[in-house]
Amino acid sequence: MPCTISLRYVTSAVEKTSNEQVEIAVTDEQALITALKQRDPTALAAVFETYADRIYRLGMNLLHDEQHADCVVQDTFLALIEHIDQFEGRSSLGTWLYRVGYNHCLNQLRKVKPSLELDSLDEPDMMPVNFNPWPAPEEMIFTNEITSELERAIATLSPALRAVFVMRDIEELSTSETAGVLGISESAVKVRLHRARLLLREWLAPYFGEQFEQTGV
Amino acid sequence: MECQDLIKYLSDYIDNRLDEALTHAAQEHLATCSNCHIVLDSTQKTILLYRQRDQQNGLTTRRYQTLYDQLVQAFTKQPEGD
Ligand SMILES: [Zn+2]
Repeated sequence: MPCTISLRYVTSAVEKTSNEQVEIAVTDEQALITALKQRDPTALAAVFETYADRIYRLGMNLLHDEQHADCVVQDTFLALIEHIDQFEGRSSLGTWLYRVGYNHCLNQLRKVKPSLELDSLDEPDMMPVNFNPWPAPEEMIFTNEITSELERAIATLSPALRAVFVMRDIEELSTSETAGVLGISESAVKVRLHRARLLLREWLAPYFGEQFEQTGV
Repeated sequence: MECQDLIKYLSDYIDNRLDEALTHAAQEHLATCSNCHIVLDSTQKTILLYRQRDQQNGLTTRRYQTLYDQLVQAFTKQPEGD
């Protein structure tokens, strides 16, 4: 059993304190992939450290369920382990993981709603109608109430818009990375991002407009 | 530039993707139109709020460790061993 010692090492490496080392490892992607193919547990630890929370958040934002989001993380990394020998590096590891995670989310959504519509491009353009000012950022302290408003707002978006908003604005992927993950054009990413932002803003505007009036800032 | 155009370009403006002439036109409009100014401000705050909210979200330490332990087992398992 050669892995007992290295396993102990990995378990300590995977604790969320050793960010610096792990990030260096992930930036040298070719070396990382080679190490993964050689079944080097420190390589798995580095990839997991970098992407586990991100894939989890993608799952939470798309599925709104902790258990399902956990499953998305697990299935995504199991797929990586299963397919690493065939990984050719045509896309980056991160893009690949997001794509697998996203597809797991879609499968889960289709279980609930088989007729899931992903193309939302015929939705009409919207114009803002609520022009109440919002409080200053320092006034918007995170309360359970705000968190649940944000949850409710994002749940109203179609999965197509939600996925783009999550990847571009929350996870801060580039337009071309997002297009690569979702398998759509860059212009489709831009159109969807624009719609998602305006829809979320409009949905949240009555709530924050009222907060502004109450605080009077 | 009119309100309709400003809204059309809003996302590109936020992402700094407009050319110089359009950026200038947008800034001129924003300086005089309080409605568009509020839409810009609240859209930027919307993005900020979601980003902050997600920074607090992640796997709990316990789930993180459990998932990782399961994966490392699958990862280091010798294929010919079983
Ligand atoms: Zn205007």
